[in-house]
Amino acid sequence: RISSDGNPAKFQPPPKPVIIDKQKQREERRFLSPEFIPPRGRTDPLKFFIERKDMIQRRKVFNIPEFYVGHVLAVTTADPYANEKVNRFVGICIQRGGKGLGATFVLRNVIEDQGVEICYELYNPRIQAIEVLKLEKRLDDNLMYLRDALPEYSTFDVNMKPVSRLDHEEVPVNKLQVRMKPKPWSKRWERPKYNIKGIKFELPEKKMKEAQKWSQPWLEFDMLREYDTSKIEDKIWKEVSEGLKK
Amino acid sequence: MMPIWTKSGKKHAVTLLKVQDCHVLRYISKEESGGKTSKLLVGGKNASPFFKSESAMEIFKEAGVPRKQKVTTFNVTDDAIIKPGTPLYAAHFRPGQFVDVTAKTIGKGFQGVMKRWGFKGQPASHGQTKTHRRPGAISTNKAAKVYRGKKMPGKMGNIYRTSFGLKVWRINTKHDIIYVNGSVPGHTNCLVKVRDSKLPTYKDCNKNPPFPTFFADGDEKLPEDLYDEEIFQFTDPSVTYA
Repeated sequence: RISSDGNPAKFQPPPKPVIIDKQKQREERRFLSPEFIPPRGRTDPLKFFIERKDMIQRRKVFNIPEFYVGHVLAVTTADPYANEKVNRFVGICIQRGGKGLGATFVLRNVIEDQGVEICYELYNPRIQAIEVLKLEKRLDDNLMYLRDALPEYSTFDVNMKPVSRLDHEEVPVNKLQVRMKPKPWSKRWERPKYNIKGIKFELPEKKMKEAQKWSQPWLEFDMLREYDTSKIEDKIWKEVSEGLKK
Repeated sequence: MMPIWTKSGKKHAVTLLKVQDCHVLRYISKEESGGKTSKLLVGGKNASPFFKSESAMEIFKEAGVPRKQKVTTFNVTDDAIIKPGTPLYAAHFRPGQFVDVTAKTIGKGFQGVMKRWGFKGQPASHGQTKTHRRPGAISTNKAAKVYRGKKMPGKMGNIYRTSFGLKVWRINTKHDIIYVNGSVPGHTNCLVKVRDSKLPTYKDCNKNPPFPTFFADGDEKLPEDLYDEEIFQFTDPSVTYA
């Protein structure tokens, strides 16, 4: 081959193959459980440090899997009054609350036409196992509206098999729009304060417009409410991962 | 405040108290103080020496200690006297002991009679004219006067109060933290006085506490965390009822 100069072209080595290291891509996705992030306040950071040491210690002995609101979990607790001394409950996680050692999550299920919600503490020593049966995030952080939705959306089979997970990449988001029972509801879910995207509102337009009267558009610009947790999260993530590796 | 679980699976709420730079400042003998027992002056958290007069700083200079934010007296028997200048640590207390905690309550300012004394007030409707949170009658006709100490609106809070008989669950010797059962008067990060309990039920409860106090430069090497027997430690596996 002759280049435009007329001289013989220099040897061009073939382009190097691009190796996509899948393991590195997996590690890039970090998950820090929300109860590790300290709330805003005047408490001494030493208190949160001591609490985190206890939480890491518990996590070393007992595995608490990564889960979000909307996952279907099965929890086995030690129960002195049960036949086998062990109590197993399957349900969808509707809310995760509390910070530190007192962190809780609420599981909801409909058993024999009766809606049952149980609030479990993550760090309670009576919990023997937490299994994630189905992984799916929902459009909202708080699924309390399932109480006013049709019962079919809260029923889950007690003997459900764990759904196998193919990718370790992203948690799938279920964009399901839930249908509600007729009003009255326990809370006025159509109001912008709750900011719910997972309900299929079959209300007349007039009602939806009236609900917008209670919107507070200035809230997102309020600087005193800002709590930037990115740096705190990075520090705590490093601390927690180092603690767990030991 | 934190949750704590026992080996039987019960949950208790616990307050964390940090012992920050406590030193013994002065010894006052029985005759000097005029009381039944001798006293020891103890100072708390370190503070800046620039905002007090020379006369106030004398006590700290004698003991050879930086200026303390809070100075309290403890009534002490003659065999428990400590030399001024010795530091006091959280290991002075042991898990399983019972303790009284004194602090200034949260100040609520000038409050009405319903919040301050728990009066019921008056109904919201059915003809009440401008009377919903008032005390109502303050005395009888026969008395013809108002008794001293009548519960009336006034400044509420910001006074010393004690919670008695609180169990010590756990002690962290590295950071000097005492885990005390239940709640304690005062806001977060306020200064608090911790004494051995004076309740008659807990008179014989202290099994061999460090007497007169725990000396850091002594021979005793304590582990980082001291736990009570009934506490569930997070290094153990989950609780089961077999």
